[in-house]
Amino acid sequence: MAELQETLGVGIGSADETRRARRGPRRPGGARGAFGILFAPVTLLIVLFLVPFLIMVQMSVVKFPPRVDSGYTLDHYVEVLTNPLNPHIAWTTFTIATTAMIAMLLVAIPLAYFMVFKAGKWELFLLLALVLADELAPVVKVYAWQVILGRNGILNWLIPGPPVEWLLYSQFAVILTLSTTYITYTTIPIYAAMKAIEPATFEAATDLGAGWWQQARKILIPLAAPGIFVAMILVYIPMLTDFVTSDIVGGTGSYMMGQRVRDLILGQGDWGAGSALNFLLLAMSVLLAFVAYRLARLNRIES
Amino acid sequence: MSASTTHDGGDRAGEILVETVTKRFGDVVAVNDVSITIPGGEFFSMLGPSGCGKTTTLRMIAGFEAPDAGRIVLQGADVTHVPPPKRNVNMVFQAYGLFPHMTVGENVAFGPKIKKWSREETRERVAEAIRTVRLDGFEDRRPGQLSGGQQQRVALARALVNRPAALLLDEPLGALDLKLRKEMQLELKDLQQRTGTTFVYVTHDQEEAMTMSDRIAVMNGGVVEQLATPKELYQRPASAFVAGFIGTSNLIELRVDRRDGGLLTMDLGEGQRILAVAPEGASGDATITVRPEWIKLSTGEVGDRACHVGGTVVDVVYLGSVTQMIVLLPTGERLTVHRLNDEVGADEPRPGQQVMLHWAAEHSYVVGSEAGAAEIAAEAGAPTAGVTGS
Repeated sequence: MAELQETLGVGIGSADETRRARRGPRRPGGARGAFGILFAPVTLLIVLFLVPFLIMVQMSVVKFPPRVDSGYTLDHYVEVLTNPLNPHIAWTTFTIATTAMIAMLLVAIPLAYFMVFKAGKWELFLLLALVLADELAPVVKVYAWQVILGRNGILNWLIPGPPVEWLLYSQFAVILTLSTTYITYTTIPIYAAMKAIEPATFEAATDLGAGWWQQARKILIPLAAPGIFVAMILVYIPMLTDFVTSDIVGGTGSYMMGQRVRDLILGQGDWGAGSALNFLLLAMSVLLAFVAYRLARLNRIES
Repeated sequence: MSASTTHDGGDRAGEILVETVTKRFGDVVAVNDVSITIPGGEFFSMLGPSGCGKTTTLRMIAGFEAPDAGRIVLQGADVTHVPPPKRNVNMVFQAYGLFPHMTVGENVAFGPKIKKWSREETRERVAEAIRTVRLDGFEDRRPGQLSGGQQQRVALARALVNRPAALLLDEPLGALDLKLRKEMQLELKDLQQRTGTTFVYVTHDQEEAMTMSDRIAVMNGGVVEQLATPKELYQRPASAFVAGFIGTSNLIELRVDRRDGGLLTMDLGEGQRILAVAPEGASGDATITVRPEWIKLSTGEVGDRACHVGGTVVDVVYLGSVTQMIVLLPTGERLTVHRLNDEVGADEPRPGQQVMLHWAAEHSYVVGSEAGAAEIAAEAGAPTAGVTGS
């Protein structure tokens, strides 16, 4: 049986291979070669990312109406921070994103474990399914949930009795839809981290008397932690700024930060407040990412 | 960790019985009606090529596989359906399975913590186990900071700290280089003797098994071909397979022309003959095995009870303490002959040279049927004889 498992184990990159690949070989080539290769992407990054970012920062501090000679002010930030509506929206956004994140981790960790250690020949199939699910246009996926959760939707058709109203246009709908939208980005980093775990580790733990919960808590989660943190950074920040989902399946109780920024700028034409709010969101995201990065480093396995 | 404090099974302490155990994976019978008795405190090895069922048998003793038929009895108690953690045996895995995020000390303390021993007892026993495998001073390192041999010792300490009735080792030295492997072999044997724990050791390396084991079960195709001491396996292989697998061996098919005085004789003309002591109840032709070091180059007359056969040297390899010759016999079989290099300036045989060989009839050991010999010869890729084990 061990022989059989060995053969299966090397199917898609054994733990050792993954470890080696992560370290990677040192590439030859000096600074000049690096400049040649990096010129195009760096230019693109500056034009497509840095320039709009600077415009946004400038917009957030330019007096109304935004003209070259308007002068600068911090009024927009004061307004954003003092408007009683904003903390409320921030709390809703935080609740929705965090709940969705927890829901996704609860699905992604067992799913990644199953794919790496139990799925066998189905591993590649599941991986493909996850990627394909993500390839679908996001708006189409969100509308699909509308069909499933609606008053006359599939779910209400299956549930006996009078239609359940809170399924659609609610926080529940937004959390469920966000979870399914970002599940791929949650699962893949965790899957990659688990791929580097030697299967014998779990057998050894079983042999030493650890039950499944102890193995999950003491072996699986600590060893998958770097992947879990990457997943959280990758998914939490886009959810903070998502507005499509809440637009389509959300209701009055699920008005989110992304929608607020969009409405300030496109609805009210208030570029200043919109940009200021957006900048604060971004600052918070960077802070979150930094904290997650530090936590992941704390957990890094020396090998 | 002496035997008396390690085990609680009375006089059956550390004893393992494998009774008529069969295990199938789909259509493949991995282990076929195997019975093994391992007395407590023995260093027992299961030896065989990959796929012979040795690892499956070990995993059934550990509890990671359930037998389809038969029983596993540990210290007198039937544990066939008892899960691994409740078996009072511990396993050392080929890939070690160390916990990379924990220090050496935490790795070793894993079992005691799960078992909720008192803090003091845990600390004491962990320190003792780390001392036993000579890793003092490495408690705070992580597995990634250790060499392969040190990692191996952590795996041993992590298993031994639980004071198992038996330690099960699945090719634990497979990942180490040859020199380190040789060192660890001696260390393992030493460890086994110091702790008095039953060791069940799985390997495909016959030399490793011979070096350490009290007894060895040679397995092939899911069955035990022979269970004996290393010396017995070497001198009296029960089958052509065992003869070929343990050491270097020559297999010769003996066409029995005459039987007299309990000797089987194959006449080759001109006074040349191959003899073998007839086993009881044997009839018809036989397959014999002759170890290379028993065959001597002869210059003059040989005794009545000696085999005497001429041949052509086809290959000469100097191996240091011995010189190995391949000699082509008139029967078309090739014999491997080892000549001890214990004379200064002795004549080196050359390829193409005609030589006379002799060995005592008692050294022609009859191993079994012709079918078995053909099978092993085919497996080894040799025409008929001169099967060389690894």
